[in-house]
Amino acid sequence: MYDFIGKRFPRHDGFIKAAGLAEFTFDVEVPGMLYGRIFKSPYAFAKVGRIDTSLAESMGAVVLTPDDVPDVLFNPRLVSIEEDTFKDWRVLTKTPRYVGEPIAAVAAPTEDSAQRALEALRVEFEEVYEPILDPFEATSPGARQIHARIMRGRRWVEVRSNVGAELRYSEGDLEAEERRSSVIVDRRFHVPRRYHAQLEPKGAVCKIEPDGTLTAWTTTQTIHNTKIMISQVYGIPMNRIDVRKVPIGGGFGSGIHTNLVTLIAVGLCLKAGRPVKLVLTREDDMVHDHVSFEFYMRIRAGATREGEITFGEMENTVDMGAHQVQAYPLLGASLGWFVSLYKWRALRYYGRAVYTNKVPSCAIRGYGAPEVTWAVETVVDEMAEELKMDPVEFRLKNYRGRGEIFWGQGPTVRSVIRSDGVPELMAKCSELIEWKKRGDPKSKTGRFRRGIGVGRGFHTSGAGGPLSGAVIDYSGAIVKLNEDGTVDYITALQDHGGGTLDAHAKIIAEELKVPPSRIRIVWSGTATTVYDVCTHASRGVFVGGEAARRAAAEVRRKILEYAARMLDAVNPEALRVTYDKELDDAVIFVEGAPEKRISLGEVARIAWQRNWGSISASVSYRATVAPPSFTVYFVEVEVDTETGVVRPIRVVAGADVGTVISPELAAGQLHGGFAIGWSWATGDEVVYLRDGTPAHRLSMTDYKIPTVLDLPDDENFTVVFASTHEPFGPFGAKGLGESASNPVVAAVANAIYNAIGVRFYEIPITPERILRALKGGG
Amino acid sequence: MLSINLINTYRIPQTFEYYRPRSLREALELLNAIENAKVIAGGTDLVVDLKYRRVTPRALVDVSGLSELKFVKAGDSYVEIGSATTIQELAENGAVRRYLPLLAEAAELFGSWQIRNLATIGGNLCNASPAADTAPPLLAHDAELELASLSGSRVVPLAKFFAGPKKTVLERGEILRSVRVPVHRRRAGWSFIKVARTSFDLAKVSVAVLLSLDGNTVADVRIALGSVAPTPVRARTAEKHITGASFEEAVALAPELVAREIAPIDDVRSTARYRLEVAKTVVRDAMRRAYERFFRVGVEV
Ligand SMILES: Cc1cc2nc3c(=O)[nH]c(=O)nc-3n(C[C@H](O)[C@H](O)[C@H](O)COP(=O)(O)OP(=O)(O)OC[C@H]3O[C@@H](n4cnc5c(N)ncnc54)[C@H](O)[C@@H]3O)c2cc1C
Repeated sequence: MYDFIGKRFPRHDGFIKAAGLAEFTFDVEVPGMLYGRIFKSPYAFAKVGRIDTSLAESMGAVVLTPDDVPDVLFNPRLVSIEEDTFKDWRVLTKTPRYVGEPIAAVAAPTEDSAQRALEALRVEFEEVYEPILDPFEATSPGARQIHARIMRGRRWVEVRSNVGAELRYSEGDLEAEERRSSVIVDRRFHVPRRYHAQLEPKGAVCKIEPDGTLTAWTTTQTIHNTKIMISQVYGIPMNRIDVRKVPIGGGFGSGIHTNLVTLIAVGLCLKAGRPVKLVLTREDDMVHDHVSFEFYMRIRAGATREGEITFGEMENTVDMGAHQVQAYPLLGASLGWFVSLYKWRALRYYGRAVYTNKVPSCAIRGYGAPEVTWAVETVVDEMAEELKMDPVEFRLKNYRGRGEIFWGQGPTVRSVIRSDGVPELMAKCSELIEWKKRGDPKSKTGRFRRGIGVGRGFHTSGAGGPLSGAVIDYSGAIVKLNEDGTVDYITALQDHGGGTLDAHAKIIAEELKVPPSRIRIVWSGTATTVYDVCTHASRGVFVGGEAARRAAAEVRRKILEYAARMLDAVNPEALRVTYDKELDDAVIFVEGAPEKRISLGEVARIAWQRNWGSISASVSYRATVAPPSFTVYFVEVEVDTETGVVRPIRVVAGADVGTVISPELAAGQLHGGFAIGWSWATGDEVVYLRDGTPAHRLSMTDYKIPTVLDLPDDENFTVVFASTHEPFGPFGAKGLGESASNPVVAAVANAIYNAIGVRFYEIPITPERILRALKGGG
Repeated sequence: MLSINLINTYRIPQTFEYYRPRSLREALELLNAIENAKVIAGGTDLVVDLKYRRVTPRALVDVSGLSELKFVKAGDSYVEIGSATTIQELAENGAVRRYLPLLAEAAELFGSWQIRNLATIGGNLCNASPAADTAPPLLAHDAELELASLSGSRVVPLAKFFAGPKKTVLERGEILRSVRVPVHRRRAGWSFIKVARTSFDLAKVSVAVLLSLDGNTVADVRIALGSVAPTPVRARTAEKHITGASFEEAVALAPELVAREIAPIDDVRSTARYRLEVAKTVVRDAMRRAYERFFRVGVEV
């Protein structure tokens, strides 16, 4: 079938990463470079008076204050169209609204002198206010306004009751559906803020080139949006900015926006007229820079006696912290996850994003889907139980599958589902875990109790659609043939470390029949690539990979034109292309005429020697669908009812990703998806002290994520891929990054219920909470 | 709390002198000569403290390379461990595994590979964290510490060594030379159990038990706990109470008795109530496991 897709090849960055040779932002060294440090607000809500920079400056440091940066409001994430973008950030602030908010910055020749200069800054606080840490307190009458007014696009809008964004939606006759229901479940759920724990802390290096243009290297998931952001804030034309792509140590959403460090580094660099490196420490990153959103959800849903879901209602209060990193589209996406999980005949939704004096929240893997999926999958489990129906059957009867309209990333991103592996995955995975033998929680006794739970979910593959909508989503690719027949692949799309670009290389390889080893993935920048929105929304393979395929197809067409001339074929259609193992190259030939054969290397060389010109293609691609990548998790846990400790025993992870381009890397996404989901379900929680200081101020000592020893080993982790084909995906492929984790919390929580008969409506389900539930103490 | 702008963990944001003495004697001389000098061994606690400016020494005296402090000696009536012996060496050392399997078990559960290869037993004890993992096993064994100074040396029972969280009775100019663990050649079962958030964390609760039986009667029992009081503690009253009882009776009584001898607190890792509850369970678990090992693999300790 395929020569390269589905097969295993060394990763293009595998060796350099294993050998420690890969150059991350932190490793970028520019001659004459200064080191930056940020002066962070020690108060959660205050007003800055005078900033005395004289001592720091007398030490030779360059100091950047709020007066030195453009007075421009912005939203650091550019994904919504301008009219739907809420802006309330400044590069540096005189009104810090969370502990850690940047007030000033310094740059000095060494890291030590920068630290000393930072300590020499004298910042007066005119007022320190009582911080508002709870969204319900923030919205109660009389609460102090965290922001009086913000911008929506180019308009000013007043903020009322600290609600920064709202979204309402309804469909169908809810009351009628409610009357028709014989079971109704009504629950409230809470998901706390969680830290992304990406390997690499955020940072940036900036340099002004001799011609006055700006080069930046930074830990971003999107180089082009970073370019646009710098341009919008500093008024630099976009063709005078080159944001370079460097390897990043994971993202999980933490680099989905332009991290403030980048904008501060640019400010320092412009003021100093020297290159500047500004890299957050783990503490800066973890305690003061970014966290996930916090969700307070209420879900009410019903079903008929026959097990048909009737209506669903969701209220969603999102605690977004002190600034918006696209909280508005999150409200829409949360609705999208809700709508597309099950066939609600009527639905009602109200979502609001509330300001509090805490670190601004940004997307975390799944963008609301893990949270909504956990809540919905809990309610669905409860309904099935009340109806005495098998939870798997109940799901199969009611989920949104093939032929249904689906709108993952919000109301304006809709398409029809064409590939659906859910029935196959449910059947195979439930069999593997021995679902039927899981038993009733009431029948389980003894100290160690095992339970099996199911969670079903999905994620979109990108945020494309037939109409333009409110979300920007398109990608670009350049494929170029060198004079020896090797290929350069030039893309802005960032690989977070999961192997997205290796998948692209295989897609190009398959299209051209050239082995991946002859395709170079070029480290490029915004000046040399065409626009790609961001590696988010699990779009890397589905959208970016299709852009690459289209560019490769264009190159293939041109190759065949040249080859037809060289082989005297009547036209390019007469030619076939195959991968020749011996030559390790593509070979173009005329069927039935063995002497009419030429290797791609030869085609390229001859075209060069005869002055025919280079073969290349540049493509900009918008996907008109965003198909769901479905996942199904069956998890077995063991609960120690004496200590509350929960262990994962077995995991069966089923994924419908269409054609599997890299089976081992896709399996890796599921292992990783389980790990992060397990962490959310059982441990992750950012807690704040009353003064707004995060309680985990010692970073990794205080805040733990599971290690490999806390997770099931390979023998107890089975991955099942559905045998589906997505007609719109490159060679039939869909996304995976987020669907890999979306249903995990749900499956774990349902498994804990199956073990001990207790439902938790608040995560993490820690040993302390389990013990309190079982014994009343804890 | 220190202002957040003073913390920069890429750097050790302070300056100090650094000495690498060639002998214990030289190390003692340096400590004596320099006001506010601090010993550094593996640095896995101290460097964190330096970064957060919780300590501000004028000088560091590095003892990690001193062969005089890196040894395990098995004598007739004791095993002696040099203070600069790493946790990984404890986990692997033949004499420790043979005579002090309780300590070896704690060493195996300690931190990560990287940490175990830097961290030392001396640093673990001198840092005096209530969660120090080598402390409960050593308390159970009635270990003694030899503290060296220029004026000679003194021996302090470990039980008298801890003075509070992060506080010991070490005096200025003293270095912990070795840990001496008496061996009575009595058959015993053992168990060290650590409850933590992840496999790479300090304990929420830890319990070490050494148990000898006479038939089914408890002939000798030692129960020590970590992370449930200002210092690692022995539950001596409980031990006294259950000695002479049948094992079943002892297991039934011990948890509540131990609970009276501990005083856990709330912190980022857990709550006081959880610790109290779980300490009882883990005491029971550790006693059972020690009991089972007494009959299956019992060692002479
Ligand atoms: C990631 C991580 C994980 C950890 N996990 C664990 C764990 O699971 N269990 C656990 O118990 N601990 C753990 N720790 C804490 C630490 O590793 C241990 O306490 C370790 O044993 C300290 O030894 P060290 O040699 O590194 O001490 P250092 O940091 O060098 O010194 C610690 C203190 O002891 C003093 N000191 C050291 N040696 C002597 C001596 N010979 N005489 C007098 N004073 C001395 C120093 O002055 C200092 O005050 C962990 C630490 C980290 C960073």
